[in-house]
Amino acid sequence: MRSLLCAAAALLAGSWLLPAAACETAEDSSRIAVAGGSLTEIIYFLGAEERIKAVDSTSNFPEPERFPSIGYVRALDAEGLLSMRPTLVLGEDDMGPPEAVAAVRRLGVPVVRVPEVHSAFGILAKVRCVAAVLNLRTEAEGLLEAKLSPMVEALARLRSDGADRPKAAFLLGIRDGAPVGAGRGTSAHGLLRMAFAQNVLDGFEGWKPVSMEAMAGAAPDYIVIAERGGAGGGADQVLAHPALPTTPAGRAPGRRLIVMDGMAILGFGPRTLQAALRLASLLRTEAPAAAAAVRRVESRE
Amino acid sequence: MNSAAALALPAVGRPLPNRAPVLALLAAALLGALALALAIGAMPMSFADILGEETALQRLVFIEIRAPRVALAGLVGAVLAVSGAALQGLFRNPLADPGLIGVSSGAALGAVAVIVLGSGRLAGPLTAYALPLAAMLGAVLVTLFLWAFAARYGQFSIVTILLVGIAVNALAAVGLGAFQYLSDEGQLRTLTFWMLGSFGRANWPTVLPAALAMAAAAAPLFFATRALDLMQLGESEAFHLGVAVQRLKRRVILCAAAAVGAGVALSGIIGFVGLVVPHLVRLLLGASHRWVLPGAALLGAALTVLADLLARTVAAPAEVPVSLVTSALGAPFFLWLIARVRP
Repeated sequence: MRSLLCAAAALLAGSWLLPAAACETAEDSSRIAVAGGSLTEIIYFLGAEERIKAVDSTSNFPEPERFPSIGYVRALDAEGLLSMRPTLVLGEDDMGPPEAVAAVRRLGVPVVRVPEVHSAFGILAKVRCVAAVLNLRTEAEGLLEAKLSPMVEALARLRSDGADRPKAAFLLGIRDGAPVGAGRGTSAHGLLRMAFAQNVLDGFEGWKPVSMEAMAGAAPDYIVIAERGGAGGGADQVLAHPALPTTPAGRAPGRRLIVMDGMAILGFGPRTLQAALRLASLLRTEAPAAAAAVRRVESRE
Repeated sequence: MNSAAALALPAVGRPLPNRAPVLALLAAALLGALALALAIGAMPMSFADILGEETALQRLVFIEIRAPRVALAGLVGAVLAVSGAALQGLFRNPLADPGLIGVSSGAALGAVAVIVLGSGRLAGPLTAYALPLAAMLGAVLVTLFLWAFAARYGQFSIVTILLVGIAVNALAAVGLGAFQYLSDEGQLRTLTFWMLGSFGRANWPTVLPAALAMAAAAAPLFFATRALDLMQLGESEAFHLGVAVQRLKRRVILCAAAAVGAGVALSGIIGFVGLVVPHLVRLLLGASHRWVLPGAALLGAALTVLADLLARTVAAPAEVPVSLVTSALGAPFFLWLIARVRP
């Protein structure tokens, strides 16, 4: 009974966090400027990519460099954006600067900000929101049912199999000589939760450099390393870090390290569900192969 | 200091060309730069578009986006160059610019504080003004601190001010580092872009008050040109020639800081304009501040407007941080300047 109440409360909270007002059908969505990699991914998922006229620099999937770039999602240029003659600007929660967004609105181009919640349901809500804006609700429900719901259900089953949550740390390369770890409130924290893992670095908020001692103290059984697509280097630096052998993850015979493509997993589009499932299964493997082997698997996809 | 003075005053002893035509030429260059910057942009448009239908998108883009942006670039460029010229004259130091005495870092600290602490908490009609006001407050606080410290512990000598400026910069760097540490990834990216500068945030409701503030703060500098000329002979010489040295220092530092603070509050940090333009102007017009300050205003505005034109068109429809452009042009020029003076 209590869990049912919790679920109802969560649903209510979820619907409150994702206000329906933002997701109303746009009058004219024939020419879209997209600011946010996950939104571009979702428009492709819905099969509406022909409506895209320009994308931001985080939109590198599935077809990088097909569309003109309007710059980084938080540093858009109002005139550049308008020069693409969009009838709709579809942006991630954090698009900016606010002055540029306000100018675009003032000049009569509707701007829709799609809410972001770092969970499996957040991803479904995002897809539904974009579908509603593009007037593709019916098509979307079919696609969701066929492609995404099975993954969400598989993730939900992790909770019910009774096993312990694996303890994991999520790192993002090296900054100031220390690996940068994902604390509370980060997208990576949400990803670990989706994979039903415990984030051992939840003692702080945001992305912070983690000292060797803190890493040893947090004692992760698994270390997940995000590698920015193509940039490389980050994972090797973490692997060479002297703090690594002081953690259970580093001591384990096969070294329980998991290297993943950063953009794929942190964008919270449909790909993130897939990545969370794969992460979940790797987090439940006693020796998830040496990091190099994992990376080869990643790059083949 | 000898070689420094040589660099600061490269035109001493050299016959000067007629200066009025050169100044007119600079004014013409500014007009040309403004025309070019207003005519070119990501959105293609013609005269007919701009003068045409009131609701046409081109016309709106021109009036509401491009024009305030060009105006802000010109104003900030002029103010940075004039302040740089006045500070270089006051300190008799060719390296002096608003960055050196800590004004820019103070403004950056104020802006970054709003970016990190204010995001999500600010609401209402004043939100648009929170960041520029905080940046300006940061610049003014740094100036007042500089002021109070130097007046209390030193005799407000030039060297004290420069040294305190270095310490203030270091302190501001601590604050900036702390805010970077506190920021989440999004805020980190926002503040990085702010530090790289952009005129893209310009709109009339913020540009107009900033323009008034910049003009009001920079105007007194133009009445200090004769005193600044006399300062070139040395502080005590200037004093004996009747310059109220302490008052001059106070006026120049406070005005330069306030003007720069009002400017960078909207644009973020713009590199090298305040340092390089005064040198360029001295090459063209000689060392007399009566000519250098107006020349710096014209050339600073023209170059910054052109740099912004590059920044917003080179990767259109995306935009490149304008400080990348100004620094990429300014730093090599500065090196050339040094190589030219040294035998």
